[in-house]
Amino acid sequence: MSTANTRREFLAQNAMGVGSMALAWLLQEEDLLANPAKIPQAQPTFDMQPKSPPHPPQAEAMISLFMHGGPAHMDLLDPKPELTKYSGTEYAEDVQFSFVNRASKTLFGSPWRFQQHGECGTEVSELLPHFANIVDDACVIRSMHTGHNGHEVSIRYWHGGIPAVLGRPTLGSWLTYALGSESQDLPAYMVLTDPGGHPVDGVNNWTNGWMPPLFQGTVLRPNEPRILNLQPPQHLKGELQRQNLAFLARLNQSHLDRHPGENDLEARIASYELAARMQTAATEALDISSETEATLRLYGIDQPETKEYGTRCLIARRLVERGVRFVQLFLGGQPWDNHSSIKTGLAAVCKRTDQPAAALVQDLKQRGMLDSTLVHWGGEIGRLPVTENHGAAEAQGRDHNGQGFSTWLAGGGVKGGMTYGETDEFGHRAAVNKVTPNDLQATLLHLFGLEHEQLSFRYNGREQHLTDGRECRIVREILSKA
Amino acid sequence: MRYYLSALVALLLLADPTTSVADAPLTFEQDIRPIFKAYCLDCHGATDELEGGLDLRLRRFAERGGESGAAIVPGDAEKSYLVERLARGEMPPGEKKLSAEQIETIRRWIASGAATASPEPEMLDPGIGITPAERAFWSFQPNRRPDVPSFSTEERIASPIDAFVLTKLKEHGLSFSPEADKLTQLKRAYFGLTGLPPTPEQLEAFLADESTEAYARLIDTLLESPRYGERWARHWLDVAGYADTEGYTNADADRPWAYKYRDYVIKSLNEGKPLDQFIQEQLAGDELVPLPHSNLAPEQIEKLVATGFLRMAADGTGSGSNDDAARNQTIADTLKIVSTSLLGLSVGCAQCHDHRYDPIPQKDYYQLRAMFEPALSWKQWRTPQQRLISLYTDEDRANAATVEAEAQTIAAEKGQKQATYMAEAFDKELQKYDEALRVKLRDAYTTPGDKRNDEQTALLKQYPAVNISPGTLYQYNQAAADDLKKYDERIAETRSKKPVEEFMRVLTEPVGGPPETHLFHRGEYREPKDTVTPAALTISSPPGKRVEIASVDTAIPTTGRRLAYARWLTSGEHPLVARVIVNRVWMHHFGRGIVGTPADFGVLGERPSHPELLDWLASEFMASGWNLKQLHKLIMTSTVYRQSSQATTDGLAADSGNTLYWRMPIHRLDAEALRDRTLAASGTLVDQLYGAPINIKADDTGQVIVDGDESRRSIYIRVKRTQPVAMLTAFDAPVMEVNCERRPSSTAATQALMMMNSEFVLGHARKVAERVRATAGAETTGQQIVAAWQITFCRPPRDEELAAATTFLDEQTAYLQAHPIPDNLEPSLHAMTNLCQALLSSNEFLYVD
Repeated sequence: MSTANTRREFLAQNAMGVGSMALAWLLQEEDLLANPAKIPQAQPTFDMQPKSPPHPPQAEAMISLFMHGGPAHMDLLDPKPELTKYSGTEYAEDVQFSFVNRASKTLFGSPWRFQQHGECGTEVSELLPHFANIVDDACVIRSMHTGHNGHEVSIRYWHGGIPAVLGRPTLGSWLTYALGSESQDLPAYMVLTDPGGHPVDGVNNWTNGWMPPLFQGTVLRPNEPRILNLQPPQHLKGELQRQNLAFLARLNQSHLDRHPGENDLEARIASYELAARMQTAATEALDISSETEATLRLYGIDQPETKEYGTRCLIARRLVERGVRFVQLFLGGQPWDNHSSIKTGLAAVCKRTDQPAAALVQDLKQRGMLDSTLVHWGGEIGRLPVTENHGAAEAQGRDHNGQGFSTWLAGGGVKGGMTYGETDEFGHRAAVNKVTPNDLQATLLHLFGLEHEQLSFRYNGREQHLTDGRECRIVREILSKA
Repeated sequence: MRYYLSALVALLLLADPTTSVADAPLTFEQDIRPIFKAYCLDCHGATDELEGGLDLRLRRFAERGGESGAAIVPGDAEKSYLVERLARGEMPPGEKKLSAEQIETIRRWIASGAATASPEPEMLDPGIGITPAERAFWSFQPNRRPDVPSFSTEERIASPIDAFVLTKLKEHGLSFSPEADKLTQLKRAYFGLTGLPPTPEQLEAFLADESTEAYARLIDTLLESPRYGERWARHWLDVAGYADTEGYTNADADRPWAYKYRDYVIKSLNEGKPLDQFIQEQLAGDELVPLPHSNLAPEQIEKLVATGFLRMAADGTGSGSNDDAARNQTIADTLKIVSTSLLGLSVGCAQCHDHRYDPIPQKDYYQLRAMFEPALSWKQWRTPQQRLISLYTDEDRANAATVEAEAQTIAAEKGQKQATYMAEAFDKELQKYDEALRVKLRDAYTTPGDKRNDEQTALLKQYPAVNISPGTLYQYNQAAADDLKKYDERIAETRSKKPVEEFMRVLTEPVGGPPETHLFHRGEYREPKDTVTPAALTISSPPGKRVEIASVDTAIPTTGRRLAYARWLTSGEHPLVARVIVNRVWMHHFGRGIVGTPADFGVLGERPSHPELLDWLASEFMASGWNLKQLHKLIMTSTVYRQSSQATTDGLAADSGNTLYWRMPIHRLDAEALRDRTLAASGTLVDQLYGAPINIKADDTGQVIVDGDESRRSIYIRVKRTQPVAMLTAFDAPVMEVNCERRPSSTAATQALMMMNSEFVLGHARKVAERVRATAGAETTGQQIVAAWQITFCRPPRDEELAAATTFLDEQTAYLQAHPIPDNLEPSLHAMTNLCQALLSSNEFLYVD
């Protein structure tokens, strides 16, 4: 088209589809824009460029195997001989029940045996034979405490820093906000959900809260295709789509220029850029066909019970390997919430997850990635030492317990081969060296070279923090470097 | 198994530091009792069994003390046994302890004489009850009409709304942003009221109208558009928990007639039905229609269909789970829908025990439940199938019977003919055998199957060819079979003349006395305790005047409970209902409510950002006769609403979250509006009101999509709880579990991929391109670009946009000519398709200013 024509002339000649009023309006608007009244200063902008933390980091990436529902610590990681001894007798202490209608105070000793493992001799239940193989690399914390027995209340505490409060950014948001990503081709914060559905509290588990949407977790589907619409159809592949996206970017940039400082618009622009790069990068990252037989066997991908979770654990490693900062795996249908029939239910979920979880640590270690990758395993709460009564013995289970429970960490600057903290003799309450989610959050940030009291995001006129000024400490005793 | 938000939690949330001013005298009601309620009253006051004989519900009970003597000694905190036990951490038992600050507060209160704010009551009902301090909470105050602040005329006060908002803005040194330009206001109004963009003609007409009344007239026109009802019905269906399937069990059975309720909502909103009537019909429409429910007039059908609101909760009792737990779950979910949508309270916590934060005693919950139990009786439960009511009139039924008789006549004719044909065929077949065998075979064949002796059975097995049946007749005599088939066609054709039988999904009460409602100990239906009578929540009733509902209204055939309750809710005296409604309407216009938690106006919810504005709107809304359209107009003609969405330096510095409304926030179209706008751009949108839902299916990758080329608005897409439509959920449409109080707005690369690669977007981009060509002609690129902008963005392109688009089309067409793709579009149409896809994916298309 000839550029000699001014647009006014052009439109006047060609504006058959456009009403004259619309035209007049547009021209008038541009006159106004020529003399803008007051353009606001640039708002802070956000990106995923890698950023250096204030202190040298131990951990550079994290994989969280979130076991929501409340794994029964006294059956898994926290042996309680006294509980076994007094099993069947009445418990004297006060117990807070969630399901009062089935409450009992009859002590319920673990039906499973514990044994020492590794050089460190950490005792582990027979339900976790694979974890038993990696105890020398793991730190088992036996004194976790949220103080609240409800799922949502404690889940929100773990993710967002305050019990029960919804709508705050999650740990993955904070890490990616502070550190950006080593990969500009994959989302920095990725979530792998379960074929059985979303966890309790749904998408709130990976929300960006009041941070820009850039810091929201990106969900991979539990089944193939893990990312919908990842590939363009044949007639758009390659150069054509590149041209299209370049044109779209231009449209969006000009729109943004007219809306300075709108985080939402910026995030959507970034989401297209990322999506384009993901088409290559995610396809490659999610394709496990290049992995060796030995690796697939290690994760249990050759067995029906472990195939699904094993595949997700392996994908988590591949993502971290490619620079993703934070990966979180969830389960669907609350498999650790063993209110009833714990003998079969708990055994089944252990069978499904134990080998893949342990394999992840082994695999990271053999690839030299464990030192810089922090692996977290644990739920939001644990379970009570007393029986939740469902009549028949085989139907019995355990109710919620946020007063004391276990979790484990491996790699990323955490000391292996140790246990930390204790519950009381029955496994009811954290008794020695209590650790709260806030303590753990402070510790994790520390391992990433960040300070929980310094790392802040300004929202509504106030500097906000993950731990929100709540009393907490870095658990230095579990760090490999003090 | 889920355990909802532990009520024990959130003392943290209660401890709002701004409410306790250090110097103000501490009183029992304001400062001490809330602490006691959270930590102590479960054992010391909630029930008749007082631990240690100590009751802490009143100051004087505390002074009187229990078995260990006085709990407090006014004026001497150190001698007070209560402080001693607290300080030593002995009380309360268990993990949950008072903070040091809370103990200090109690200490200071005792030391300063243990004052009360007012004289304590002589008598106290059993239980924790409701205190004056709790009653003083903002949302339980009666609606009043605040005075409107006055401003000088030059301050752009178009309505009282502006006066309230400007008052707050000024307190922060801010004022309104300039008015948005005319086109922006037009688009904002279209999307806000109809969820669709203006057509070029509508746009032209508005821009051409230079009168001062143009904008107000626009709002009136939009409120009269049938598209308005479709848009705002979607908002209400979210809170009503609308779904076309039953949920609860894996079967997720279909609800084939649920759509009639959806259509009722659309129609009611379009007709401008006063919202008090709308609420009454949904809660008690059946009680407004005489029995029996037959030969119904259209307005009676409408009232019955309205009760579909109370049938939206998931209900697995007709699809494999008809047990007590499932029935009680449906009742509990229904109460949740009612309370979150209309009361703005989460009453569910009071199912198991007195609500720990809001003043809702457990008994109140069951009294509320008693309102609904005559129709939702878990002892005499009716499954969804049993609750269907046929819309057949007596005349329809008589017509159907006549038609059926006709069909039966034809069937009888066919029967005779068939017998004849069969006999002929048999006789013919029999000729193949010798005489002796013929007799035996005929005997065996003519003996009915269950009367044959072994020999006969064996014989027929041995000679299968004689076993002629209606199904095999054609093998012996094709002409006969064809002749019989004609009878079948005639029968089918005759039956098709029957009037179509449709059904309603309704809530009705069976005849016979109402069931008793029991308080369930700890919420457990297996432990029923005292019976309760129906009554509205104490806290929403005027002080000392509990709104009791008669157990049976003898004037009507039903119990009349829900009707009486609905009338109370809409009486104008209820403190919450009108506030909750106007807050929702505000939220849909501004992206956030005046109360940020639209379904929780209680202690754990947010406080209103503009309490006077909320009250004034509620009062004005009721004074207008609960006229929703008038409320829209009031809001949309305000200066607040008509502001520009441009951020300003001052505004961002003082209030980055825009809680004061110094500008209009921009917002992303919600899922349905985005799909509808795309259909509108491609010219495929079908404006057809009402009807059965659009079918969905899973595509090759397992993602759920709309089946076929159906291009009606998204509100008509089947809502299947277990199979949400991928494109809609990607953009935050709710997956219905119970109901959706407020939608999030997310941004993710997965959405970008959907815009880049999905069949839906690609297909519609092509259609937009074809439409562009049809509008502008295939010859001039420039004209096509102008048309493309007009169709997608409702405006012509700017200079640089025109140049960029021209370059894009030229270059891409050249590229496609140089690199031909087999079996593809002609290069220039392909390039135009790609251009249109970019427009459909752009922020200007996704966001409204």
